[in-house]
Amino acid sequence: MPRLPTSLLRRAYALDPYLPALLGPCRDLCAAQNELRWLREHVDGVAEKRRARGGTLARAALLRELVGKRARGMPLQYILGTEWFGEVEIRCRKGVLIPRQDTAASISHLVRFLRDAPNLPSELRVLDLCTGTGCIPLLFAHDFYDASSRPDLRILGVDVSEKALELAAHNLERTRKAQASVAKGNISFLQADILLNPFADQTEGPPSLKTALNLKRMPQFWDILISNPPYISPKEYWKTTTRSVRGFEPKLALVPPPDAAGTDTEQGDAFYRPLLTIAQDVEAKIVLLEIADLDQALRVGRRVREMDIYDGIEIWCDQPDAHPNTAAEDPASDSEFPIFGTGNARTVLCHRGQGTQWLQRTPSPHAPTSTPADTTEDCAHISHDGLEPSFDKTLLHAGDGRPFHERTLKSRKEPVDWEHWTGKPANAAAPWYTKEPRLGRR
Amino acid sequence: MPLPRILALPPLLRPPTTTSALRNHILPSHASRPFHITPRPLANLPPRRPLFESEFTETFLRGSGPGGQKINKTSCAVQLKHLPTGIVVKCQETRSRAQNRKLARRLLQDRIEEMELGESARTVVKRRRESERKRSRGKKARRKYRKLAEGEKGEDEEGVEEGGGSDGEALGEATRGDGASKVG
Repeated sequence: MPRLPTSLLRRAYALDPYLPALLGPCRDLCAAQNELRWLREHVDGVAEKRRARGGTLARAALLRELVGKRARGMPLQYILGTEWFGEVEIRCRKGVLIPRQDTAASISHLVRFLRDAPNLPSELRVLDLCTGTGCIPLLFAHDFYDASSRPDLRILGVDVSEKALELAAHNLERTRKAQASVAKGNISFLQADILLNPFADQTEGPPSLKTALNLKRMPQFWDILISNPPYISPKEYWKTTTRSVRGFEPKLALVPPPDAAGTDTEQGDAFYRPLLTIAQDVEAKIVLLEIADLDQALRVGRRVREMDIYDGIEIWCDQPDAHPNTAAEDPASDSEFPIFGTGNARTVLCHRGQGTQWLQRTPSPHAPTSTPADTTEDCAHISHDGLEPSFDKTLLHAGDGRPFHERTLKSRKEPVDWEHWTGKPANAAAPWYTKEPRLGRR
Repeated sequence: MPLPRILALPPLLRPPTTTSALRNHILPSHASRPFHITPRPLANLPPRRPLFESEFTETFLRGSGPGGQKINKTSCAVQLKHLPTGIVVKCQETRSRAQNRKLARRLLQDRIEEMELGESARTVVKRRRESERKRSRGKKARRKYRKLAEGEKGEDEEGVEEGGGSDGEALGEATRGDGASKVG
């Protein structure tokens, strides 16, 4: 990291004596000024609330303390306690990853498609794995119900960390009070470990996703699967992450757990294989996975193509709604998957069957030539609340137009790939999720 | 002898920032404040010029390098460029990108209006009215303090009269005193 020039520090000091301290983490005068202004506004807010209750507050002392914390690298969102995720204000707490703006852009873009989607089911089911603060379910519900009445929405957020689930529940309460639109959706959170083999014996720790869904009597089939999993490999963690991320945000949410036999890159991609297996099991029609960069996007895209059940694979960038490929240096032109938007590659989107209709895409030439993996379960949406199965007849002739029985007789092209699980004992002595995230030097 | 006047301390006022000033007009988020004064609506303003999304390009300024989980951005600046006129507006007032986008559009609207309408644009009219109000307030205050000063002087005069002096003499004394101090 280049050293801050003395001239810049002097200029900053002339503007405000607190600015030089903030230049350390911000590296930029404009950003430091913004952060100082937000800190001041926060201190004023705290003081005003304290005064309304009849107390007093030494503003200067509090501001000095907060600026000191920020200068030591603590993320601003932990200091102020909240972060904006789209139009939803999400509370952040130490030990849970801070939501990122880029994720919000992708989610909003997806919901924009779904809002004008034809033939949505009567209840749209969204599964969000590795939910963290619960930001994705909340933003999804907020954007989905923004204007008019829509089909019912059922969103389930899953995380392994209890701290995250507590915070997610708190955020849900908070957002429900503030925004009526979120209250309409049926949002819930569930503790499960998606890396666990559902068929292995297990005695302690959070259960696997399948077991947890069964225990809570949740539906086994979901229309949309969204996930922002840990995707940074250990080497990248030390090289490319910023100090405030490394020192203060939980490693649990950033780096996949170490695997005995696997290279650095494989460890970074460790979550995508189980995620795609789960997507196949829950019959997801749209899968949205966040990734780190274009290389990882291509690796994940190739893995999805190997599965051969999706009609289309796309890569979305940081600003997916911007005009595609405006930049001349964009490597999109010769890429094997279509890339939308501008900026770094951010998410991989896969769709099939009805999902392709919802997104109003045409199946790409890469689409599977053989049968899409429709099974009998796909056609029967069983509602687990009332014990009456409802049979969606429209689905019988949806898809490739061939009679229903022909499609069902043919099984999946390849059975569920469990070889990933076999090397992994379900009840290891010290599971990785029990370890406390390493916090920075104080 | 003049009594020491007890000045009423002004209430603690938050120095108005651009954010709060803008927010007062746009974003209704006063729930946390104990009370606030609703700004008097300005009558007879020219109507706002409609702004279409096709007229401008929007960019989110960000540094180069990795994104996503690897870094933790706090700024979410929005920059709008109006294509027909080439006006560029940047907004990074709030931490929310959604709010910044709204504010940036409002700013761009104002800039275009100023360019097109000149003296009759909303912002110019508002500024003029504000300055007029300030001027009249200043005039009022000056009048008030002049009156107060005259009243005090009157009291002084009364006191002086009781002592058997006159206004002219008092003035004379003052000038003499000044002269004396200058000499001394």
